[in-house]
Amino acid sequence: MKTNYLFPYRLKKVSGIIFLLSFVVLTLLYFLDGFERFPIKAKVFAIVSDYGILGERKSFGFIEDSVTDEILVVLTIVFGVIFAFSKEKYEDEMVVSVRLNSLAWATTINYGLIMLSYMFIYGMPFLTVMSAIMFSQLLIFIILFRYNIYKLNKAGADEE
Amino acid sequence: MKNSIKVQRAIHNFTQQELADKIGVSRQTINAMEKGKYVPSTALALKLSQLFKISVNDIFELEDGD
Repeated sequence: MKTNYLFPYRLKKVSGIIFLLSFVVLTLLYFLDGFERFPIKAKVFAIVSDYGILGERKSFGFIEDSVTDEILVVLTIVFGVIFAFSKEKYEDEMVVSVRLNSLAWATTINYGLIMLSYMFIYGMPFLTVMSAIMFSQLLIFIILFRYNIYKLNKAGADEE
Repeated sequence: MKNSIKVQRAIHNFTQQELADKIGVSRQTINAMEKGKYVPSTALALKLSQLFKISVNDIFELEDGD
């Protein structure tokens, strides 16, 4: 089965490990205020920002910021996407169909969760929800897809 | 959709793994097809037909509701 939109299988293991590590560290630091506790100060280019003295709004300029969270988010997204969309060890048309099925369900479930949290979570906690939404679809897809592949392998293991 | 892959496989004396290797899919896919959980693409159906030397219509059969 030829699919040109998938990353090679050899990236699967290493991207999975980096994704998991950076996601766990990101989550821990988020809830323990770690971005301020372990700052990595850097000058960054901002298309728009309202940090700075008196919270002035700045466009297309350089600002000073801690990039701890930026680094972790980039790692999580890049390696998460590579892990989620790299080929399986044995890639065939059924894997393609399982992948599509999992992706469709992940999208539906994710938007269901977004809708429910929009309806029932208000104020500052909603900011946490917004941050979680950045990764929830990818995470739900990975869990569903891995589970479905695991189920297939298990169902096939006892037959001959 | 019903299919006679398991019967044909027995006639040709292939294991699931052997059949899988011959048509370029995983053993899990053969297993899922035999159980009726997965309906293969036209290309895969034609490969099976070529291998078993019978027509696609003799391997696959529509059921009510298909």
